[in-house]
Amino acid sequence: MKRKNIIAGVVLIFFSLGYGYLTSELPTRTLPNTPDPSFFPWINTIIMLVLSTSLLVQGLFFTEQGERSFDAVAARLIAISLALFFVYLLILPSLGFVVASIPFFAALMMLFEERRPVWVASSSIAVTVLLFSAFRYGFGVLLPLGVMEGLLP
Amino acid sequence: MNPDILAGMTQASLPTSLIATSIGVLFGLIVGMIPGMTISTGIIVLLPLTFVLPADISIALLLGLYVGGMTGGSFSAVLLNIPGTPSASATAMDGFPMASRGEAGRALGVAITASFIGGLFSFLCLYLIAPLLAEVALEFRTQDMFSLLFFGMTIICSFAAKSLVKGLLSGAIGLLIVTIGQDPVMGTARYTFGDVNMMAGIHFLTAMIGLFAIPQLVENLIELKNGKAAEQKQAKLGSILPTAVDLKQMRVPVAIGSLTGAFLGILPGAGGPIAAFISYDYAKKASKQPEEFGKGSVEGVAAPESANNAVTGGALIPMMTLGIPGDPVTAILIGALMIHGLAPGPLLFMERADFAYGIIFSFFWANIFNFIIALLGLRVLVKVLATPKSLLMPTIGILCVVGSYALRNSFFDVYVMLFFGCLGLAMKWLDVPVVPLLLALVLGRQLEEYLRVGLTSSKGDVTIFFTSPISLSFLCLSIASVAWSFYSERNKKPAPS
Repeated sequence: MKRKNIIAGVVLIFFSLGYGYLTSELPTRTLPNTPDPSFFPWINTIIMLVLSTSLLVQGLFFTEQGERSFDAVAARLIAISLALFFVYLLILPSLGFVVASIPFFAALMMLFEERRPVWVASSSIAVTVLLFSAFRYGFGVLLPLGVMEGLLP
Repeated sequence: MNPDILAGMTQASLPTSLIATSIGVLFGLIVGMIPGMTISTGIIVLLPLTFVLPADISIALLLGLYVGGMTGGSFSAVLLNIPGTPSASATAMDGFPMASRGEAGRALGVAITASFIGGLFSFLCLYLIAPLLAEVALEFRTQDMFSLLFFGMTIICSFAAKSLVKGLLSGAIGLLIVTIGQDPVMGTARYTFGDVNMMAGIHFLTAMIGLFAIPQLVENLIELKNGKAAEQKQAKLGSILPTAVDLKQMRVPVAIGSLTGAFLGILPGAGGPIAAFISYDYAKKASKQPEEFGKGSVEGVAAPESANNAVTGGALIPMMTLGIPGDPVTAILIGALMIHGLAPGPLLFMERADFAYGIIFSFFWANIFNFIIALLGLRVLVKVLATPKSLLMPTIGILCVVGSYALRNSFFDVYVMLFFGCLGLAMKWLDVPVVPLLLALVLGRQLEEYLRVGLTSSKGDVTIFFTSPISLSFLCLSIASVAWSFYSERNKKPAPS
């Protein structure tokens, strides 16, 4: 028995049922002999249900070699990394690319065990400014200016 | 000479194209040699930069990266015993022992030369086979195209998965994602929840950035914290150029590697690592000194290196002629071409033959530059191996955000990227391969379109997929492919609990 497969199997079965429900709500077309927009999604629903059930059965009755597991440390690191990204995305539109990216970069550097404060600060500023200049002025990507609106072209 | 060939050759030999190819090669060598970075990630990071470039320059840049990345992987394999890319795993078996006895430069010289010959051989295969295959593929009708795409998907699922069910599930999730947005035939909105951002669907690039780069960043972090990040003690280089004796020793293994690599490259799903290991094994069997393999044999370095570079040209053949990717990198390249409004497949050779030949000749230049830059710049390039992860990974983190934002100047895409990052991590946790999902994202829409158009043209009669000999052949191949995977899986696992 493999717990992960059981959990994934159950989650995917419910997900497939939800997808099936949304598919049933799709508008139908009355053109003769023409598969309507829900045709392919219905095939997907059936495939997903069959495969999810197979995964559940595998989890219940079979073991799998070389199981990958994330320990507590790894789970914490994943949570911290994703939280950092999420906070960065929240502050990015209002603070702008340069102001938001410098602390984000510094936080990631520290997460990667960089402890020299001067190096962290200088790298964060240098890389952010470099990327901002390259994308905004070199490639014409309209990276948000945020609080630096009016200060930068 | 055929005017399209001439136009393609000219296009690929323009100074701008040559500069792009050489920059791509340089970036590829760097990406390839850094353990923890894959060629796919390198291309994904570089892809947003190509939005502002013309299609021919973009593809030259990305092809350079593809070729350079394959060779770059051998640098860290030889010097640190850590393959920079999975394709260089076999190279480490003899490359590192050579480096340990003070012959790192010689091993790398052999690797670079073998890569060059393998790459050139695959260029010849690409140049000779691709136009012929495209001509055959032009005869394909809607139902044949559907079956071909279906075959491409099943074969990738079978190869990519440790577990067949998980591989197929990954592909099915991808197919489910491509149904979001306007449907490809009637334009009806599906699963958009009234959000205008969802109308255009999920862009495969945002999905790819999330699926590949975020899990890689997190995995590097976990390895660092768990102390698995290897202590990088670099061997000294010494003399680089292979001697006449080395070249003589390389002849047979390079021939084996080039043939194996180009052939396996054409088969969707096989890829560089398999080609490298198979050619290593064949070279060992053909060698007069098989006992030297594993102890620092020149032949043991030459065979896998020529094979993994020969895979690149081989993989471009189905990509360009049938629109079917040979490996994850060519799947991303298909996406890159689509961004520029070009659809790889038989029509590419009919409607834009000059461009198709341009790709082929850019690939040729990529191999030439790869040889020159790798040999001349080796002593400088290997210093990149000392780049701290604490600087590299945060840069990738920011590039993920910028890359997904740059697509449509929209934060919606950045959130989608983060969602796919979480999905990628969940898939890693569950040991579900990402490649089938990626393939479904690239091919799924076409698959649905061909299926529905085929059924519409036959007035709902499904037998058209079985009465066309081409379609039937592909469907039989699909069944054989899945059956073979199922059989292989049964023979290796699972064991009843």
